[in-house]
Amino acid sequence: MVVIGEKINGAIPSVAAAIEERDASLIGELVSAQEEAGADYLDVCAGTSPDKEYDALCWLIDVVQEHARKPVCIDSPDPEMLVRVFPKLEKPGLVNSISLEGNKCEILLPLLKDNPEWGVVALCCDNSGVANAWEEKTAHAFTLIEKAAEYGIAPERIHIDPLVLALSAVNDSALNFFEAVRRIKERYQKVNVTAALSNISFGMPARKLVNQNFLTLSMYAGLDSVIMNPLDRELMGAVYATDALMNKDKFCRKYNKAYRNGQIGAKK
Amino acid sequence: MLDATKLCEAMGELEEDEIIEILEGVMAEGGAQASEAMEACQKGMDEVGNRFETGEYFVGDLIYAGQLMTQAVEILKPALVSGESGSAAKEKVVLCTVEGDLHDIGKNIVKAMMEAAGFEIIDLGIDVKPRVIIDAVKESGAKIVALSGVLTLALDSMKKTVDVFKEAGLREQVKFIVGGAPVNKDSGPDTGADAWASNPQQTVQICRGWV
Repeated sequence: MVVIGEKINGAIPSVAAAIEERDASLIGELVSAQEEAGADYLDVCAGTSPDKEYDALCWLIDVVQEHARKPVCIDSPDPEMLVRVFPKLEKPGLVNSISLEGNKCEILLPLLKDNPEWGVVALCCDNSGVANAWEEKTAHAFTLIEKAAEYGIAPERIHIDPLVLALSAVNDSALNFFEAVRRIKERYQKVNVTAALSNISFGMPARKLVNQNFLTLSMYAGLDSVIMNPLDRELMGAVYATDALMNKDKFCRKYNKAYRNGQIGAKK
Repeated sequence: MLDATKLCEAMGELEEDEIIEILEGVMAEGGAQASEAMEACQKGMDEVGNRFETGEYFVGDLIYAGQLMTQAVEILKPALVSGESGSAAKEKVVLCTVEGDLHDIGKNIVKAMMEAAGFEIIDLGIDVKPRVIIDAVKESGAKIVALSGVLTLALDSMKKTVDVFKEAGLREQVKFIVGGAPVNKDSGPDTGADAWASNPQQTVQICRGWV
């Protein structure tokens, strides 16, 4: 399971304040803490108003790269912004994201073609929004994978997010998500299917419970990567335990090691 | 006889069976008290909104409340349309998620709450360009425009929408209210809107104040 750490995001008030005040210490701590917890990529999103985004992202990238061993998952809703900050990134990571919305594919796929070590997060939505039905999610996924192929981008470089809707508003949102994951993996075994975990529990109390159980069920359906908070010990525990349960952890050694390292289970 | 207090409480508690039983009772008696029943339901919805504000109710409860309200209107409609209460024109509100933003859960909750409060909502959907909003205002004569968004870039689109109304000379004809994740005490006023809200209940209260 690939874990993309979500903590460096201006949507989080403390991070927004750190960006505003250019407080590098908090960002540096979030880099180290997420890496120690087991993150494979560090999502970096400014979440500022568009006029401040370029400067904020450049500053964040500098601070993160100074501390990080793991690669960056560079995150902006604006594809032009991703192209602008891209030259600053030293290590190949993930571009977050393309979708069928506007001209995102046309702007970002050529960049990915020229940088074959980079991967990309691809969201199953188009100009009409996010569909709940697995049939539409799957159709979007296939279109995205085929578009990427036109630029010579192989499925294994793509992290497809079928996009789960909020359970509080759409009662069969998780079921449609699981079915989409299964169908996408059935057609393209090598593509990565990913999820931004916390969307499922929007507007609900005790969100962690919903997130964690959604993660386990999604992994059973075939999820390969997840955008989540690696500092949530119980959630990381669920990642390791489910990988072991799914026969993806020989003799449970990763699970055991994570426990010995104090990453999962009761705090020693 | 209608027990308005009981109906209001049932709405507040989201007791579907009880609400329907009371409303069907009203209709079985000929529907003379349909408008009182409607009022009781709306009061109950205010209670739902209050409980959401205090954290007792959650998003799912709000959406469910919206559906119950739609059901209530369906049951009472035959009596409301024939009676006096149905003839009063409802205040129109143009509602949408702004250009560049595809999120619609928040907008839909606001729609349900506003409709429950007696407004007529003209829902333009998601990713809506200012031009389309202007056309809708001209066509409907709505005096309130409610703009929703989740992404930070929605703030720019909200501002742009207000500006386009200014350029078209229509700014003084409408009141703008904005809401959604990036909208707060700093960013809300920056959009140039007349008001901003942090939850659907506030939106209802502010719009009521404008009528």
